[in-house]
Amino acid sequence: MSKLSSGPSIKIYNLVSNWIIFDNNKVKILSGKVDIGQHITTTLSIIASRELDISIDKIEVLNLTTKKSPDEGFTAGSLSVSHSGTAVKAASITFRNLFIEHVLSKFNVEIDDLNIENGIAKILGTNQFFSYWDFAQLDNYNDIKITEFIQNRIVPINPKKQPIKNKTITNIVTGNHKFIQDLDFPNMMHARVLRPLNYFSKLKYIDNKLILNLKNNNINVLIKGSFIAIIGSDEFEVIKALNKLKHSCEWENLENINNRNVFEMLSNNKKDSLLVKSGGEAFYEKIPDKHIYDDKNFITLNSEYTKPYIMHGSIGPSAACSIFQNNKLKIFTHSQGVYQTRGAICEALKVKEQDVEMIFMPSAGCYGHNGADDAAFEAGIISMTFPDKHILLKWTREDENCWEPYGSATLSKISGTLDLKGNIVYWSHETFADTFMTRPSKGGAHNFLSYKYINNDFQKRDQLPKTAPHMGIHRNLDPLYNFKKTRLVKNLVHNLPLRTSALRGLGAFGNILAIESFMNELAFTANIDPLTFRLNHLDDNRAKEVLINLKAQMDKSVLKKNNARGIAFARYKNSAAYCAVGIEISVSDNAEITLINSWISIDAGEIVYPEGIHSQLEGGLIQAASWTIYEQVEYDTRSILSKDWDEYKIIGFNNIPKINVSIIERIGDPFLGVGEVVAGPVSAAIANALFDLLGVRFKNLPFSKDKIKSELLK
Amino acid sequence: MSNEVNCKLKINGFLYDLTIPDDRPLIFVLRNDLNLKGTKLGCGLEQCGSCTVLIDGKKALSCNQTAVSFQGKDITTIEGIKVNSKYSVIQEAFIEFNSAQCGYCSSGIIMSLTSLFNKTALPKKDEVIKCLDNNLCRCGSHYSVLKAVEKIIANIDHKKVDN
Repeated sequence: MSKLSSGPSIKIYNLVSNWIIFDNNKVKILSGKVDIGQHITTTLSIIASRELDISIDKIEVLNLTTKKSPDEGFTAGSLSVSHSGTAVKAASITFRNLFIEHVLSKFNVEIDDLNIENGIAKILGTNQFFSYWDFAQLDNYNDIKITEFIQNRIVPINPKKQPIKNKTITNIVTGNHKFIQDLDFPNMMHARVLRPLNYFSKLKYIDNKLILNLKNNNINVLIKGSFIAIIGSDEFEVIKALNKLKHSCEWENLENINNRNVFEMLSNNKKDSLLVKSGGEAFYEKIPDKHIYDDKNFITLNSEYTKPYIMHGSIGPSAACSIFQNNKLKIFTHSQGVYQTRGAICEALKVKEQDVEMIFMPSAGCYGHNGADDAAFEAGIISMTFPDKHILLKWTREDENCWEPYGSATLSKISGTLDLKGNIVYWSHETFADTFMTRPSKGGAHNFLSYKYINNDFQKRDQLPKTAPHMGIHRNLDPLYNFKKTRLVKNLVHNLPLRTSALRGLGAFGNILAIESFMNELAFTANIDPLTFRLNHLDDNRAKEVLINLKAQMDKSVLKKNNARGIAFARYKNSAAYCAVGIEISVSDNAEITLINSWISIDAGEIVYPEGIHSQLEGGLIQAASWTIYEQVEYDTRSILSKDWDEYKIIGFNNIPKINVSIIERIGDPFLGVGEVVAGPVSAAIANALFDLLGVRFKNLPFSKDKIKSELLK
Repeated sequence: MSNEVNCKLKINGFLYDLTIPDDRPLIFVLRNDLNLKGTKLGCGLEQCGSCTVLIDGKKALSCNQTAVSFQGKDITTIEGIKVNSKYSVIQEAFIEFNSAQCGYCSSGIIMSLTSLFNKTALPKKDEVIKCLDNNLCRCGSHYSVLKAVEKIIANIDHKKVDN
């Protein structure tokens, strides 16, 4: 008997009918995870198709709706497949087993008398048959509990894997894939929000004559406190009105943005410091002093690594569509936490949960908490003032760049002590950042951007540090290496200048950059090659295997002259996929890093959809390379300066390396998520390659051409 | 407010006779007046390439330039690039290589590449990169896009050799 790791989803939604609906000759899958470009809908279709042994064409994954989908929390943390996928797998196996048992007993036959094809069991030698849909019609279908621990199939599934179809791609390439921005309803109104000067601006004056003038031209202006929205039936006229009205407003600036060196602030500001222990949990305990080793028998190194604020930078600005009708609110959203955002909207708008339905619609990739939830709230407010019509609110590029919650700037102070044999005997890592956890949910309506402007509530709220293993700032602070003695400290720093929240990988990106760069610093000092040095400090065989496999993959091609390679490794959250990355770079004449070649060696347990894994890993590598080489949110005391793509450079087609993905598959093992596993190792691998190439250890992201140029001139 | 004008636009082979404001950018006419939603509004600043269409076979951005300025031209959007109701070679290759993640930037990328292959039967790698210079992708689908293009070029090259 094999045990399927159950995950939280099945524990709460323990009925087959919570996940699978047999309807009209189709199999409809319900999921609490949303498709944000990671193609979870395709993965779930494949799982259901395999386990029910049914054509994938018959499977449809329904968009999440708070009316009937399971609440699986946020679509975050590389957990879509391990939560929803595991649940759909267990529900499908349970269903099929019970279906077969029922057929055997109903027709009083043996398994050999059955031929089951595409959901229909035929009794051989007779005209009798019975289908999945017949079984689902039986009274007890809705009461069937998922058997979460026995996952042996009474009849094995077809070993011949069906060809995988990515159901979304054909719609994408023909322009038929519907995004939330494409919604269209009869009499729909378009809306934009007029943003204040900065985070602490209160509306002082608005030109009422202009508002009247706009009204005469069928453009409405909604003002609530310092929140201003412009609504009209013609989208471009709304944009023009926004630009006109923007220049007529005066704002009282209650506070400037503090643009002192953020890394000094991370070090010096008021903070909550928690001790992180092996296993990755944080505790309110006295932080021990750093252990000091004598320098005769030991070598101690110290380093500091930084990462600036970076943005999600979705290509399609956030949007939402809402209608308020018969005292009920219906909101289409691309939030990654549809149920949670509904909770916060109900709190903010003082409406009951049963009166608010939220439905997920795809949008452009968002990679964490961007403006999606804010847009849903804002569309909700607007539609309550303009009932009976759909309101499609879109953020502008400037809204998206200047008002989204960024990924926090981070600082890692790290020390390591080597004995004379080159073993790490002591490891201290203090990590400093603002919160990564300001997604709105029940009790957290104040996390909506516009909440403060509507209520003119500019109160600063200190976040409380999260303590669960690998949450937020201390994600991947606990290294997978077998260091004898560690001192791990999480610092949630307060009074920092910019709005922050979850961005792909949360604290893991900065922490892994620091750990994996520092591992190379120590290896260099110990005069041991970086791969062997890592293997010497690992007990976990799967970790060792991805590293050894990485080397084998990299050894297949020759390192070119004037190039260098770096490697790095992590197991995201010490619980998702194991991932080792190698990168080959060169530095151009104008001091820019050129990405030449890359290798990803991955162990993600059992693989459902290899193309999906490739896609997530390739995308993760490219995005992380962009963070590493180019990205930094710029701001002055008045406002965010990175307001468009000219002012916030991201990677383009001109710097894309060859990407070689090698998957170590483990059939029967639990699914391990891959969405965020690659980012930290990518950044460190680039840093390590740079050191190899230039002999300079770059520690402060981004590794821009200006920084490299100034180092080379030294 | 803007002046309403009569405007004749040829889009995907069809002629549309419209009365629209003279300052309305093409993208809003495509998406809102004609329900051609495949062209995406990304930045509205001619920086990201999401709104790329073809004008007389060459790529152009539709988010700022007025619709009326395209009268007398052949406008092609993502909805109009199928050949005899079949996927174009670029669409085929994108499907084969799974060359999209969220897909928001994909229309623009496909239109830019269509423009390139209209111009150059066998583009070189640097021409491909240059052609995609203004197309931003945030999910990181770049590599799969380049693999798809490589395959198209290899196929064309192969056919040439065969002939």
